[in-house]
Amino acid sequence: MNLFAVDLRREFELEPGEEVLVETRKHWLLFVLELLPFAIIAILPLVIPTLLAIAPPLAPYADRFSIGSASGRAGLGIWFLLVWTAAWGFYTRYYLNVWVLTNMRIVEITQHRFFDREVSSVLVSRVQDVTTEVSGVLFSLLHIGNIHVQSAGTVDEFHMNGVGNPGRLRDLILSHVAEHSKSAGV
Amino acid sequence: MPDQPLTPFTGLPLELAISGSAFMGWAILIALIFWTIYTLIAIYHWIRFSHAAAVAYPAIVLHLMVSGGIALFALSSFI
Repeated sequence: MNLFAVDLRREFELEPGEEVLVETRKHWLLFVLELLPFAIIAILPLVIPTLLAIAPPLAPYADRFSIGSASGRAGLGIWFLLVWTAAWGFYTRYYLNVWVLTNMRIVEITQHRFFDREVSSVLVSRVQDVTTEVSGVLFSLLHIGNIHVQSAGTVDEFHMNGVGNPGRLRDLILSHVAEHSKSAGV
Repeated sequence: MPDQPLTPFTGLPLELAISGSAFMGWAILIALIFWTIYTLIAIYHWIRFSHAAAVAYPAIVLHLMVSGGIALFALSSFI
């Protein structure tokens, strides 16, 4: 196994003549915003000595949490290590959640948790409706929105929330739907 | 009604429950075991399911470097 040959084709087999057009994820800004709780949790122990110093009965214990003491430094190190690891795991899951648009189908790869993965696809020729939704000032300015794809014959919809430039993706999907319809003589 | 005067609160008997450096040593050990298992699982997912080696390997290296720095910081309290 060549470890450096990690690529999309390991996830699903491309058909002859099939090529990947776009691979998209949730917008990076949303990812950064979702990282904020990790940042807040990370700095929490740095505030504890100040808070303890405010409450007179607990003031003597403020030193224990001080970065200057050995136990404080060790505790802070453990805390940072756990928060960093959790944040990195969060990034891993963010990266593994992806939509892949090929000239033949749309593939939705959802990594719910570690060891909990779902890969579903719909043929472009079966797409009936593509809806985009951009809501809010910030999202409108940054072109962040949601896409819903409805396919024929099923009640299942494909949803992708918080993607960048959903209009462009919709147009790309619909242009391939039109191509398939023409080639099928519809 | 108590007939004795109230004594002021003098603090929690924390020393009875926790023996400073021994506790921290165990805590660091447990954290490192957790970190190792979690990191191995995440690396497996990166290598098995990520779509680009150009992102996967830098992400793994960054994680190892930052974690190493933090671990050194934590362990420096024992030196």
